[in-house]
Amino acid sequence: MNTAQQTARVGLFFLLGVALVWVTFETLSNGKIFAPKSHTIVARFDDLRQLKAGDDVLMAGVKVGSVLKTQLAGHRGEAVLQIDSNIDIASDATATVAMSGLIGGNYVSIGMGTAGLPPLMDGAEIRTVESPDLNTIMAQLGGLGKELQSSLGSFSSAFNGDPKTGGGIMQKLDKLVTENTARINATMENLQQITDKINRGDGTIGRLLNDPKLHDELLATVDEIKSAASQAKELVANAQAVIAQVKSGQGALGTLVYDKKAADDIKASIADLRTVSDKIARGEGTLGKLISDDALYNSAQITLKKADRALDGLNDSGPITAVGIVANALF
Amino acid sequence: MKRIVSILEGVGSVVQLLVKSVSYAPTLPRQWARFVEQCYLIGYTTMPIVSILSFFIGTVLALEAGYSMEGFGAKEYIGSLVGLSMARELGPMMTSVLLAGRVGSAITAELASMTVYQEVDALTVMNIPAARMLVLPRLAAILVMMPVLTVIANIVGWFGGAVVARYVSFVGISSESYFAALRHYTKFKDVIYGMEKAEVFGFVVVLVCCNIGLSTRGGPREIGAAVTRGVVVSLILILVLDYFVTKVLM
Repeated sequence: MNTAQQTARVGLFFLLGVALVWVTFETLSNGKIFAPKSHTIVARFDDLRQLKAGDDVLMAGVKVGSVLKTQLAGHRGEAVLQIDSNIDIASDATATVAMSGLIGGNYVSIGMGTAGLPPLMDGAEIRTVESPDLNTIMAQLGGLGKELQSSLGSFSSAFNGDPKTGGGIMQKLDKLVTENTARINATMENLQQITDKINRGDGTIGRLLNDPKLHDELLATVDEIKSAASQAKELVANAQAVIAQVKSGQGALGTLVYDKKAADDIKASIADLRTVSDKIARGEGTLGKLISDDALYNSAQITLKKADRALDGLNDSGPITAVGIVANALF
Repeated sequence: MKRIVSILEGVGSVVQLLVKSVSYAPTLPRQWARFVEQCYLIGYTTMPIVSILSFFIGTVLALEAGYSMEGFGAKEYIGSLVGLSMARELGPMMTSVLLAGRVGSAITAELASMTVYQEVDALTVMNIPAARMLVLPRLAAILVMMPVLTVIANIVGWFGGAVVARYVSFVGISSESYFAALRHYTKFKDVIYGMEKAEVFGFVVVLVCCNIGLSTRGGPREIGAAVTRGVVVSLILILVLDYFVTKVLM
């Protein structure tokens, strides 16, 4: 191989290497040698958990920066977040330390906040929300597991029970079945006989199931019941209409029940009637005297006797003078 | 004691050789042909074996990661594991190991035979220092070629992992998911970090092998012993330096 070929191959190889470095750079760094301009905000948490420098800062799942550093600030943990300069975070947005997976690291999740509010400035502190730690969740799950175990133990003891006290539900059930096997068998045989009879069409239920005529009659009966129910419904509707009319004060009954003036008139009439009856009872007036005075009765009786005699005389004198005689006798 | 003195002698001669070679750096443009030749030997001819090895390292990584992560439903992270492992550790490390085995042994054998057969002495008589003519072009070539070999190793390894992630049934994640995880967790600075490590390893391998080759004394039998020593020392230095360089760069 001559020197020229060798040089060409080395040159090609070197250019290939440079090209690969460039491709790697473009792929992994998106063509940015230096980090974009950014501003920092501070987020303070009770517990930063495993948050460390370099972890992502996400808004709505989109990376907007990274954790610059973590440090203690009094009794709390402080994370300094480096946010891309083209990202504005609303002043009421909140930050949370979130887990990227069970084995993955943590990241800071920032809420969108309210649109239109002024953005957080460089060095400002963002509001934070503590999220439950995985350990806390696991501890709660552990407690839940214990309670579940306890409940299952109770169930188990209820089912299995203490052999000294006669066992649990299962043992008692087993005992019950064992002791009553003969009765259960007899009951089952009876049930078998009943179902056989029904299948053969014996008895009321059997006929009902197997006899088409009975079935038709039953259907007709049901239709009649439906018709009666329909009539009853209509009757009730009419009664409701009548009641409605009465309630609205229409008709005699409505007037009687709901018309105040009519009620007052009736009361006045009754009072008048009572006054009249009282007078009659005391023997006042014509009717009172007629009822309570015997003299009037006697005179009426005498008068009637006279009239009787006059009529007798009238039969003798003829009909022409009958009126004159009656008038004479009376007056 | 004799062993310790021998080690100290080796360290001293390596430092001397480095200083001498660097002092001749201005002569590099006049040695362009030698530089290109060494680039060809160190870089171009090593690329195929580096590619093959890296591809299968990537596949094995993805297989092991898939097997381990399947148990707790974290298969989506295979891409990140392969990406970071190749870029930060296995890419530069395995490239350097291959370099020690293929290029380091060749350098040691060549320089040891030149020393044994007094060619180096002849150059010295002609006022041509070995550090200038034999060592400097190799050091310059490894500095240029090592990043190229490393980035090739990284990319081929990543694709090897992607093939396994896509086509092995119990791993079974899509290429998009694999490369999304790789891109999310592997940064360009990780690749640069791996290249820096590879530069250190490659430079040390070439320097040590040159020194062992030039220090060879005796006859032809010593050439084989020098090659063995050069490869073993290179491998040990790679592993020891890996710890310290990682610690420093981290």
